[in-house]
Amino acid sequence: MTEPSDFTRHPIMANGYEQPFSITVPPEDLELLRKKLEVVTFPDEIEHADWDYGVPLAHMKRLVAHWKDGFDWRKAEGKINAFPQFTRDIDVDGFGTLNIHYVHQRSAVENAIPLLFIHGWPGHFMEARKIIPLLTASSPDQPSFHVIAPSLPGFGFSEAPKQKGFALTQYAEVAHKLMLALGYPEYVVQGGDWGYTISRKLTFMYGGKSVKAWHSNFAPVLFPSFWSNPFLFLAALVTPWTPAERAGLEHTKLFGENEMGYIKLQSTRPQTLGYALADSPVALLAWIYEKLMRWTDEYPWEDDEVLTWVSLYWFSRAGPAASVRIYCETMRAGELKSLTANRSSVPLGFSFFPKENFVVPKLWTRALGNVIYESEHERGGHFAAHERPEDLVSDVRQMFAKDGPAHGIVPGKSGYA
Amino acid sequence: MAQDAEQPFKLNVPDADLELLRKKLDLVRLPDELDEAGRDYGVPLADMRRLVARWKDGFDWRKAEAEINVFPQFTRDIEVDGFGSLNIHYIHQKSSVENAVPLLFVHGWPGHFMEAQKIIPLLTTQSSDHPSFHVVALSLPNFGFSEACKKKGFALEQYAEVGNKLMLALGYTEFVVQGGDWGRYIGQRLAYAYGNKSVKAWHTNYPRANPPTLRSNPLSYITSIVTPTTAFERAGIERGKWFQKYGRGYFEEQSTRPQTLGYSLADSPVGLLAWIYEKLVEWTDEYPWEDDEVLTWVSIYWFSRAGPAASVRIYCERVRAEYHDWWSPIPLGISFFPKELGAVPGTWVRTIGNVVQKSVHEHGGHFASHERPEDLAGDLRKMFAKGGPAFGVVSGKSGYA
Repeated sequence: MTEPSDFTRHPIMANGYEQPFSITVPPEDLELLRKKLEVVTFPDEIEHADWDYGVPLAHMKRLVAHWKDGFDWRKAEGKINAFPQFTRDIDVDGFGTLNIHYVHQRSAVENAIPLLFIHGWPGHFMEARKIIPLLTASSPDQPSFHVIAPSLPGFGFSEAPKQKGFALTQYAEVAHKLMLALGYPEYVVQGGDWGYTISRKLTFMYGGKSVKAWHSNFAPVLFPSFWSNPFLFLAALVTPWTPAERAGLEHTKLFGENEMGYIKLQSTRPQTLGYALADSPVALLAWIYEKLMRWTDEYPWEDDEVLTWVSLYWFSRAGPAASVRIYCETMRAGELKSLTANRSSVPLGFSFFPKENFVVPKLWTRALGNVIYESEHERGGHFAAHERPEDLVSDVRQMFAKDGPAHGIVPGKSGYA
Repeated sequence: MAQDAEQPFKLNVPDADLELLRKKLDLVRLPDELDEAGRDYGVPLADMRRLVARWKDGFDWRKAEAEINVFPQFTRDIEVDGFGSLNIHYIHQKSSVENAVPLLFVHGWPGHFMEAQKIIPLLTTQSSDHPSFHVVALSLPNFGFSEACKKKGFALEQYAEVGNKLMLALGYTEFVVQGGDWGRYIGQRLAYAYGNKSVKAWHTNYPRANPPTLRSNPLSYITSIVTPTTAFERAGIERGKWFQKYGRGYFEEQSTRPQTLGYSLADSPVGLLAWIYEKLVEWTDEYPWEDDEVLTWVSIYWFSRAGPAASVRIYCERVRAEYHDWWSPIPLGISFFPKELGAVPGTWVRTIGNVVQKSVHEHGGHFASHERPEDLAGDLRKMFAKGGPAFGVVSGKSGYA
């Protein structure tokens, strides 16, 4: 058999210029999905399993039935295309040129703060859909932002790297070069999940000069290390935990015990897993839906919402298998240890959501770096931008407000008219 | 449908199931691959393309099915305490030697009853030079053509109970056990729960063990400290480290979220193929897999009675159950193969059981009965031979004419 794989790299039309972009999934791709959904084979299920072994069968049957008959991708596509999207080529040292897709929504406020929003896995650029209108809105009472939400390489509608070894340095390089290409030599960053990790890398690589401040809602921190942060280490030893912190640690422990199989798999054998994710919409749906449900705080997912989310993976430019490589490449590059061990001096704002995957005492998070803003919430989980957009935006606004700790940190872009 | 007596069984996958598989293969969508990926990220794309093409056009399931049906197969109901009745499928190949030693072969994951196909003729054959065996190779519940168990908590105790009750139902009041992978753990449970009652001796090719402690195994503990490791052992330990670092992703997923994974395995033949083929290659010692051999192996999972998703639950149920150190005084034989996964120093294996025989081999990996059938059969023959350490353990069934 000499057919190419279904995700052959298309020759790049290197143009150096920004191209406007709309998602238009080819009809034959929709047809293939429909055909596959028609021959779905479900497994059985242990009696009274509920979520004990993974996604319940009843959920899957309901979602698949709706995906087959009812879910309107073109309608969902139309709504996504309401956001101004573009593509442009970015050169990555040692990896050639990658065509990068992004939303670029400017505020009416000329001197709005340029904010780069970085998604994670199984997230995507549309995680920003609810916060974009809020962040870009103009008001004399709060700062406004120009928002750039890219698809990371290998995700959404960005190209995937071809060579081995594309890790944090490269993801950060792409993000930074995109901001420069858009005319934002100085900017701030917001991210959770891999967005946190890449943001942190950005602060080490371009902090102070370009990356002026950053905000995160996720931090896989551990107990402060005596070697890197002796003061915090001692403080953490003696400071009693609040009930909320204790509950958070218990939640974190359960997460570590039950929910991390996917990490071990994706960071060692992403290609083997990739065959299932590329071939079976049901496999992909289960794989992602599990996270959407387990990592959120009783968020009332609607079926169309879930299917739109998963379809973005199914119809992604590089295919869903490419998206899980980030785990493997990053672990193998060995960048994570130094990332956590070193302290970043770039001002950091942090939002605590109770159902995040890792919920640790505030004291531990201060080991991350120059924490200038903290906020605690009663509701919300891992996908904060999607679950609690007002909360997240409120935090970011407070951080950069006229009386906020990061006001005016980007010279000439105060966020106010 | 309660089935009181044994029923003969012939594998005959319905045409509709073959048709559905063909439809799915026609719609296959493969991922891309990183340049020069090799095996570094999982199964290489070229392997998958080739295997899928063969599966679609060329692989003859009916021929493979006929070759499986050469082995005499049966089903019968086995009652499992607290879980109701399960219909169990098995090969039962008797030797022409009347007093052959009854042997239960227990497979693991991603193994199956046909892992015994090469050793069955070797074990059952008659000779004055070595003992013969009556071989029973079952499909574990949730695997092959046995029924699935739909209740929570079906763990090692239950798998062992099924094995024991099956042998008793076949008229083997005393028998011996051979197993690797899960077969080793089920064998260990069989030896513990029924040792010196029905189970008289056991053998394993998966000598994964905990280190001896001063309190529980003082002699082994001291021996392990003073005995230097051999080159064979050191290579095995290195391989073990590789496996811990790179090879355990499947284990973590299967032992926490088997149902989520199960949707992939049930719906996508390509997903299932990759999932299993990766192990067939990584866990063996450069075994020259032929495409049809791989496809037959994976098809047994694809066409299994309970479906492939059920097979991975054993990991989850085992990890959630309480851990016990099931040590039995009945004779235990161990075969060491260089590319096995859980290699430990030889001084540790007495923590598994009462080791009476150790055999070290130059070649072979995890699927010993398939890769090195002569070696494995040879070890069993030695163990139960006249003058061997387990000769005559089964009353009246010496293995000789």
